[in-house]
Amino acid sequence: MTAIEIRNLAKAFGPVRAVDDVSFSVAAGTITGYLGPNGAGKTTTLRCLLGLVTADGGTALVDGRPYTALERPLTEVGAVLEATSFHPGRTARDHLRVICTAAGLPASRADEALEQVGLADAARKRVGGFSLGMRQRLALGTATLGHPRVLILDEPANGLDPAGIEWLRGFLRNLAHERGVAVLVSSHVLAEVQQTVDNVVIIARGRLVHQGSLAELTGNGERPVRVHAAEADRLVPALEAKGARVERPGDGVLRVYGVDAEAVGQTVLDERVLVTELVRERSDLQEIFMELTREA
Amino acid sequence: MALVRSELQKLFTTRLWWIMLLVMLLFTGITLAVTIGFAGVEGGQGAPALPGRETLEFQQAAWTAGAGSSIFVMVLGIIMMTGEYRYQTITTTFLTTPRRGRVVTAKLIAGLLVGVLFGLASLLLTAAAVIPAVLIAGGEVALLDGGIPRIMLGVVATSALYALFGIGLGALVRNQIAAIVGAIVWVFVIEALLTAIPALQGVGKFTPSGAAQSLIAVQIDTGFGQADLLPAWAGASVLVAYALVFAVVASLTTVRRDIT
Repeated sequence: MTAIEIRNLAKAFGPVRAVDDVSFSVAAGTITGYLGPNGAGKTTTLRCLLGLVTADGGTALVDGRPYTALERPLTEVGAVLEATSFHPGRTARDHLRVICTAAGLPASRADEALEQVGLADAARKRVGGFSLGMRQRLALGTATLGHPRVLILDEPANGLDPAGIEWLRGFLRNLAHERGVAVLVSSHVLAEVQQTVDNVVIIARGRLVHQGSLAELTGNGERPVRVHAAEADRLVPALEAKGARVERPGDGVLRVYGVDAEAVGQTVLDERVLVTELVRERSDLQEIFMELTREA
Repeated sequence: MALVRSELQKLFTTRLWWIMLLVMLLFTGITLAVTIGFAGVEGGQGAPALPGRETLEFQQAAWTAGAGSSIFVMVLGIIMMTGEYRYQTITTTFLTTPRRGRVVTAKLIAGLLVGVLFGLASLLLTAAAVIPAVLIAGGEVALLDGGIPRIMLGVVATSALYALFGIGLGALVRNQIAAIVGAIVWVFVIEALLTAIPALQGVGKFTPSGAAQSLIAVQIDTGFGQADLLPAWAGASVLVAYALVFAVVASLTTVRRDIT
C-alpha cells in the first residue's frame, strides 16, 4: 500500500530549482531513506509534502490526499523537522499538551508519548535546558502523539550520540516493521541510515538520481579486482584477452572489471609477474553514494 | 474552539504573560500615583494641573490610567505571533492545523480575551487606588455615572483591540525585535506627537491611540488646549476598523507564506 506518493514535484526559490521533477513513493511498513548531500532538496521535498511550502508543480500526497486536506493530520502523519522547534521556556509536557489541545487528542497522550521516548523524568523541565539528543526525542514524541501511520523525519540523527542513533534505529524499526508505519527518513550521511532502511531514494541538486532497494544500490556497483604490481602493464593484454575491462588508476595499479579474482590470479601466474597486492575491492556504499550524487 | 484553548495554553505555559502583566500593572500604578499625588496640587501659575481628589473630574482622569496598558497588550500580541517564528514552533503549529486561517483566527480570539483580561486587571488596580483616595479626600465615589462606565469600557476595549494590532503587526513583520521596537516608536513617538501637537491633531485623532483617547475622553486642559478628538462612537469605529485591517493583514501574510 502506498502511503506517500510524490509525483513530478517541483519547487524553485528564485532562480534556484530546489526540487526538480522528483517522483517516488513509500509503502506502508517500510523505511525509506531519502539521501543526498546538503542542499540537494531533501528538506524542501519534505516541506512540500507537509504543506509548509507550496510546490510550483507536481503533487505530494499522503494516503492519497494532500497534507493540507487532512482533517486530523497528526493522527495520520507525524513529522520531525528541526531539533530546535520548541519554545525554550515551556516544559516538555506543556509543549505536548498544547499540541494535544489543538489536535483534539486527550492530554494523557502527552505523558504516554514522553514515556515512549524516554523523557518521562524530564517532563516538567523547561526545554531550554534540554540537550540536542533530548530535543530530538521530544520531537519524536511530538511526531508520534497521534499514533500516525506515516512518519517523516528530516535528518533525525543530527546531534545524536552513537547510543542515541542506536535507540533511534530501534524506535523506527519497531514502528515500521511491527506496527506497519511508513517511514521516510532523510539524511546526508548514508552510513547513518544504511542499517535501518529498506529502500533508498537518492537526490542531488534537486533531481532524483536513484530509487530502489538498498541491495539494488550495492548490486549496481561492480566490484573490481585491484592489482598492485611493478610490471602491472604486462598483465593488461592477457587480461583483456580474457574479456576483462582494465582501468589504470595509478602507476603500478590496475583495477580489473568483468572477471573474478581467480581469473586475475591465473593470469598473474601465467605471465609470471610479481604481485604485491591482489584484492577484490569492497563495494563501498558511501563511494557509490558519492559517485551518484557527484555526477548528477 | 480547541484552537483558541491551545493558543491560550501556549501563552500561559510560558513566563512571559505574568511578566507583562506585572510590568503593565507597574506602569498603571505609576500613572495612578502621579495622578493621585498631584491631584489638587497648586501649580506655578496658581491653578492646579489636576482637579482635587474629591471631584468627579479627578475620578474621570484617574480611571483613564488603565489605558496605558494597551501598549503592553500590543507587545504581548506581537510576541504571540513572532514568538512562533522566532522559535520555529510555527512549523509544529501548522503541521497540527494545516488550515492556517484557523490558526490566525484562534490567535486573534485568544488575543482579544487576553486583552480583556489585562484591561480588567488594570481597572481592578485603578479601583483599588482611586476609591480609597476619593473616600479619604471626602469625595463621593462615582462608578456608574459621570461617564465612568464609558471610560472603563473604553479601557477594556482598547486593551483588547491593541492585542489584535500586535498580532497583525507580528504577522507582518515576523522579526520580534523589529516589531516591538516599531510598535514602541509608533505609540510613544509618532502617535504621541500626532495626538499632542494641536496642529497635527486633525491626523492624530484618526490614529489608534487618538481613537482610543476619544473612548476614554475627559476634557482636561493639559496646557496644550483642548484635544481635538473624534466622538466616542467614531473613535470606537476607527479602532475596530484598525483591528479588522490588522486581522486581515495577519491572515493574508500568514496563509500564503512558505515556512522554510
